[in-house]
Amino acid sequence: MFLIALAVFLVLAFSISWALATYVPINIGVVTLIVGLVLGYMGQRSRFCTISGLRDFYLVKDSYRLKGLIGIIIGGIIGFNLVKLISGKLDFPGVPEFPMLSQGLAVEPIVLLPLSIIGAFGMAFFSVMAEGCPFRQHVMAGEGYLSGILYLFGLLLGVLFFDIVITPFLQVFTIAF
Amino acid sequence: MEIKLGKINITLKKPSLKLVPNMALLTGIAMGVLAAIAQGFFNVQPPVGDGVCAVSHPANLINWLSNTIFGTEFTIHGIFVGVPVLTSVGFILGSTAASLKNKEFKFRKGPVRDSIFAFMLGFIIINFGLLWGSCPIRTSILASYGMIWSMLVLFAIVLGVIASCEYIKWKVRRM
Repeated sequence: MFLIALAVFLVLAFSISWALATYVPINIGVVTLIVGLVLGYMGQRSRFCTISGLRDFYLVKDSYRLKGLIGIIIGGIIGFNLVKLISGKLDFPGVPEFPMLSQGLAVEPIVLLPLSIIGAFGMAFFSVMAEGCPFRQHVMAGEGYLSGILYLFGLLLGVLFFDIVITPFLQVFTIAF
Repeated sequence: MEIKLGKINITLKKPSLKLVPNMALLTGIAMGVLAAIAQGFFNVQPPVGDGVCAVSHPANLINWLSNTIFGTEFTIHGIFVGVPVLTSVGFILGSTAASLKNKEFKFRKGPVRDSIFAFMLGFIIINFGLLWGSCPIRTSILASYGMIWSMLVLFAIVLGVIASCEYIKWKVRRM
């Protein structure tokens, strides 16, 4: 049943996407909205969460949600190769730039890795206390959970704080190096 | 199935091929596939592997709104300067649709009972997340594309979860 559902999903996803990309002048914002809708729906039904998957496996050896994290890697490999085969447009990452560079931070590369490790560690550490990864919080907000809604308000303020306070500080910090 | 390695016995469960026990796996595969489709078919790039992200996409949306409404000049991924990225909105609406359809939608306190703490966690987590620039989902996608740094960062995420679990266990033991 799972394999049938997976096959149906892959066929539908690729055929609809290819048709839309080829024949319909679709806006990127609409594409991201559709992707979000599908994943939000599936995330709510499956209770998907990356952080909870690791937590549950570590504490009680429950692998249900951890399979989701493994699924992302499997899906990335399948999706990347199939898209490259069909469209030929997908650039192979090679050594892609750090995600943080794409946020426009003028940070020296030697500082990037330690900052990234600290950021990822801290994000994971506090996400366990929040009972879910940022995606799960979006899903919980959609389900009506007050903690998820308040989390998103905190996220909104946090983004502005990062832009106004952290970003200039990081640039000053790297000049010292 | 049991595997014996000297004194160590490892019991392997036969993997289930039913749908319900594998819904999270299907969701994860869908994430990886849709991220690749968004990037390859619809040119949601650069940066690489940015089809799905629960940290950089909300950040881009908030920055876009701030730039448009208040005239600020916060950074946005090049591809999302003209049009806002609506992934976060989609996550919430998709979840709402699923919960309404299955009669699970209800306003109630979440797993984090303290409202102020929930707010603070959102604030703290996004600041840490933006230091790296990705959520665990996009980190996993980048790792699946072969980015070595992402694999290191994914390992840091695992360590963060373990550290947090040990901290919580320590706090409970102290009570």
